[in-house]
Amino acid sequence: MPSEPRVPTEPSLEELSAFIDSELDEAAQARVAEHVAGCRDCQARLDGLRQTAHAIRGLPMESPPRPFTIPAQRRQSWRWAPAGWIGSAAVALLLVAVGIQNLHLPSGPAATSRSTSTVSGGLAQGAGAQKGAVAPLAAPAPASNDQYSYGSASRAAANVATAVDPTNSSRRLVLDTDSTSYVANGKMQVTVQLIGSPSTSLNSGDQGLTLTLVRNGVGVALKPVGVESWNGTPIFGGRYDLASLPLSSPRDGAYRLEATWVVPDGSGRVLQASVPVTITS
Amino acid sequence: MFTSNSQDDRDLVGRARRGDREAFTQLIVQYQVPLYNMALRMVGRPDDAADIAQEAFLRAWEKIRTLREAPFKSWLFQIAANLCYDHFRRGRRYGAMPDEETSNVIGLGIATPDPQEQAEASERNRLVRESIQALEHDMRIAIVLRDVNGMAYDEIASVLRVPLGTVKSRIARARAQVQERLQQYPDFFLREDAHAE
Repeated sequence: MPSEPRVPTEPSLEELSAFIDSELDEAAQARVAEHVAGCRDCQARLDGLRQTAHAIRGLPMESPPRPFTIPAQRRQSWRWAPAGWIGSAAVALLLVAVGIQNLHLPSGPAATSRSTSTVSGGLAQGAGAQKGAVAPLAAPAPASNDQYSYGSASRAAANVATAVDPTNSSRRLVLDTDSTSYVANGKMQVTVQLIGSPSTSLNSGDQGLTLTLVRNGVGVALKPVGVESWNGTPIFGGRYDLASLPLSSPRDGAYRLEATWVVPDGSGRVLQASVPVTITS
Repeated sequence: MFTSNSQDDRDLVGRARRGDREAFTQLIVQYQVPLYNMALRMVGRPDDAADIAQEAFLRAWEKIRTLREAPFKSWLFQIAANLCYDHFRRGRRYGAMPDEETSNVIGLGIATPDPQEQAEASERNRLVRESIQALEHDMRIAIVLRDVNGMAYDEIASVLRVPLGTVKSRIARARAQVQERLQQYPDFFLREDAHAE
C-alpha cells in the first residue's frame, strides 16, 4: 500500500521569520518552503510577517541633525588625571562647538570638494556573499558629464555629484540641480537618478531615498517624487519653491543638498552624494 | 559566521589606532547615517539619537587601540546599543516619540506636488514608528538592527552578545507584535500591498 505523502512539519514563528531573511540552513529553508506552498494558513502568516518587515524597511533613513566630530586629543581617564581630563574635555567641547559652527552635515574628509559622494555599507547578504563585508569608502567623484532624459527633453546638469557603489560599478546615485545659485524666491530643480537600483518603485520610501537641504547641521527635507522611469532607472526629484521651505533666517547663504540612498536590497549599504547650493536675496 | 572587517575598515581602523584622526573621520562618514538611524529608532528623539551617536563615536575613538580582531562595525554598534540601554535606564524621555513636526529633518520643508501621497506616507511611517517604540527594548533593538540596519543574524548576535537562537526569537516576536499593532488599522496592509505592487 502506497504511503501518504509526507507533509513537512508546520514551521514555528521563528522559522517563518528567519525564512524571510534566508537565515535558515538549507534543509530548513527547503522544508519551510515546501510546507508553506501547500498550507494557506502558513502562507498567510508568512505574508503578514513579510509585509511587516517591508513596512519597517520602508522607513526613511534620516540624516543626523548635526555633524559628528572627535576631539584633537583623546579624553583621558578621570581616575588617573582629573586635571588632564578636565582640560581634554574643555578642548573637546571647544572643538565640537567649532565643528558644529563650521561644518556642514555630513562632514568628512571630502567636505571641501565642490561635490561629494560617500558610500557606507552594511552586510552583504546575498547567497555566496561574504557576510560582514563592508563597502569601501568611495573617493569623492568629480562632477560628471552625465546627461539624461527628463521627460522628453535632454539637458546637461549644472551641478552634479555621483556616488558609485564600489562593489557594483553599475550602481550609481547621481544627484544634480539645474544651477548652483538661486534667488530666495526662486525654484530649484533637483533630479536624483538611482542607476542600478534593485527596485523599480517610484516611491522614495521604498527606494530608501532621502533628500535634504542642509546648513549648519540643520536639515530641511525635500520630498523626492518619482517623476520618470526610463530604461528601468528610477528617477526622483522635483521643482522646489525655495520661498515655501522653512529655512532659518537669514535665508541667504551656502547650503548643501544631500541625497542619501539606502540601497533597498537588505544590505544596509548607503550611498550619499551632495552638491553645494547658494541662496541669495 | 561573521568574523571579518572589510579590508577598507581594517586599513582605516589600523590608521586610527595609530592616532590618525583623518582615518577615523572617514569611519564616521561611513557609519554616521546607519548608526544615527539605529539610535533614532531606539530612542525616538533626533537630539537624543544624535547625542548617542556622537558619544559612541567619541568612545570608539578613545578605545580604538583596544580593538583587535573584532569587526569595527559590530564593535561600534555594540557601543551605541549599550548607550541606548543607558539612556533607557536613566529614564530620559523614555518612549517619547517626536511629532513629525518637531523633527528638524523629516517632515519639514515638504515640497511635494502630491500632498495626499505625502500625507499617506507620513501617516504610515508614524504608525510603524509607534509600533516599534511599543516593543520591549530587547526586541526593539533586534528588529532595528535587522530591518533598519540590514544586519545579518550572526552580526546582530555579535553586537548584542547573545546566542543566534535568541536573535532569531527576538526578531520573530518583534515582527509579530508590530504586525499585531498595525493590523489594528484595517487599511494599513492594504496600502502596503498597493505600495508593494
